[in-house]
Amino acid sequence: MEFGAILAAVFDLRIVTTIVLCTLYGSFVGAMPGLTATMAVALLVPFTYFMDPVQAVAAIVATTTTAIFAGDISGALLRMPGTPASAAYVEDSYALARKGKARTTLFISLLSASVGGVIGVVLLATATPLLARLASSFSSDEAFWLATLGLSCAVFVGGASVPRNFASLFIGLAIATVGIDVAVGHPRYTFGVNELYDGVSFIPAMIGLFAVSELLANAQVRKGVSLGRIEIEPIGTALRNAFAAIRQAWTGVLRAGIGGTFIGALPGAGADIAAWIAYAVSRRFSRTPEKFGTGHTEGIVEGGTANNAAVAGAWTPALVFGIPGDSVTAIAIGVLLMKGLTPGPDIFEADALLVKTLFGAFLLANVIMLFTGGLAVAVATWILRVPSAVLMPGVLILSLIGAYSIDGSVVAIWIVLALGLLGLAMTQARIPIAPAVLGVVLGQVVEDNFMVSMMKAQGDLTGFFSRTPAAVLGALTLVVWGLLLWRSWRELVRGYRAPVEEGR
Amino acid sequence: MTRDLLTGSALAVAGIVMISVAVTFPSIPVMAYGPGLFPKIVAGGLILSGIGIVAEAWTGRAGAGDAAPMRPLPVLALAAIIAGFALAMDPLGFHIAAILALIATVRLFGGGWITALVFAPVATALLHLVFYNVLRVPLPWGLLLPVAW
Repeated sequence: MEFGAILAAVFDLRIVTTIVLCTLYGSFVGAMPGLTATMAVALLVPFTYFMDPVQAVAAIVATTTTAIFAGDISGALLRMPGTPASAAYVEDSYALARKGKARTTLFISLLSASVGGVIGVVLLATATPLLARLASSFSSDEAFWLATLGLSCAVFVGGASVPRNFASLFIGLAIATVGIDVAVGHPRYTFGVNELYDGVSFIPAMIGLFAVSELLANAQVRKGVSLGRIEIEPIGTALRNAFAAIRQAWTGVLRAGIGGTFIGALPGAGADIAAWIAYAVSRRFSRTPEKFGTGHTEGIVEGGTANNAAVAGAWTPALVFGIPGDSVTAIAIGVLLMKGLTPGPDIFEADALLVKTLFGAFLLANVIMLFTGGLAVAVATWILRVPSAVLMPGVLILSLIGAYSIDGSVVAIWIVLALGLLGLAMTQARIPIAPAVLGVVLGQVVEDNFMVSMMKAQGDLTGFFSRTPAAVLGALTLVVWGLLLWRSWRELVRGYRAPVEEGR
Repeated sequence: MTRDLLTGSALAVAGIVMISVAVTFPSIPVMAYGPGLFPKIVAGGLILSGIGIVAEAWTGRAGAGDAAPMRPLPVLALAAIIAGFALAMDPLGFHIAAILALIATVRLFGGGWITALVFAPVATALLHLVFYNVLRVPLPWGLLLPVAW
């Protein structure tokens, strides 16, 4: 692939404009408490419907990257993390802001986010072609095991106890069974609604689970955001301090960037878990662990690097195997499928330019974010003054019209409402949502490949282990299941301790 | 604790309902597995996880206590607004439905009447511009069909 073609594709005016607009949009949504990065992407999806694949992916990538960074804005100024990924180090950034260093902490977040993102993309671009070559010989047996392994991983690393993660996954799979079945074409659980024959449509489902469920939760708390009085330092000083903090912690930046990418690549573990782990690791290796939580920069640097690295890492399994690494890539896979592109090893052969352009766009988004994110930091206190009485209705109507415009049918709005209520109920029952999303996306993949392999093997389950790669993947899956059983036993005996406290 | 019992039994009931529907699916005579197989596995998973959550609650090992208690009224109100929008979309048309839904939602989130009455038509006009004119989504005109442009 010649380099010039990639450059031309990345620096296409439409792509650059899309990235600039989406980083601005991502900064805004990420900064608003109660609006998450996943929600930003869910609301963006109806628009990506009208874009070409590269533009759509660039839009999703740019929005997520900046939204994850911008979550720090309300974290620092209001002590309310704008996205769950900022929760790990919110105490530190808030304490710094109270000391009159709001812009310093935000520029630290911005710089570390950008560096983390770049580390993530570099690892992504190196690892995925190698993995894709490995995966190119896979048949339905391996595809079944991969999807199952992805789902099992989601249960293992999801942010709650084993039965709750498990419940979430099966709720998602149950949603995926709606529609005409693959074997004989019998409609299942459609209740006579013709629009459900193709299954619960994906985008309304995501908008319901991520946007409307949050709105329903927000409807209960009607408290105005009050900024209080904050002293804000000049931008020049803040930038110098931020650069110094990053330079001082550069080993930590590398560690968090690489670690965050790997955590992001695990299905079910996203930016929030990456930030928590990086923060904990940073504290363990720090020479001054006692300062953590009191306005110390080390944890902000590493947490901020890790969560943006995870955003890139999550694309690894998504691109190579079609298995989403987090909720955002789950949505992205849905978007690509809508455009007739099936993520998987073949995409590296068939659409090499698309994949390379995706990496380029990813890199570019992380650079452009420095400017648009910097702008957001400069006007941070204004952004946070947008009243929720206008913001929430705006989000609601965008959700509803967005869902409607994809399906052209009112059924989409009913799906949004139903899954919004389901999402709220799940949050209330402390059941995480991410594994369910993986279930919705992968349900049909698992079932299709299961059925094909069953028919090939004529019902003989050992057939799933007859090919070497399948046997390896199958064995890995069984190991994860064993670990799950062991962990749920331990939880029952010792009690469940959340690795992520009140993070979501 | 009570909430966990409720969660667990809700999951189990959902699983049982799913299975009882799945047994009515046609099976293929020569094969032991048909359209009902996968739903039955999934339903089994729902029941098992329901039992697991109850077991967790039973042994008092569920970790942190229940989430903050729900305030059902505003949730129901917002759900009613969405349902109303869905019902009004085709007969009244997108514009009227959106303005009504927006006014109600602004009020629900604590905004004043002036905010509501200014914001609703402005936002609807913007949505019309973006979705109808730029993205060319066929939004229903409903009652306004005679003046459609």
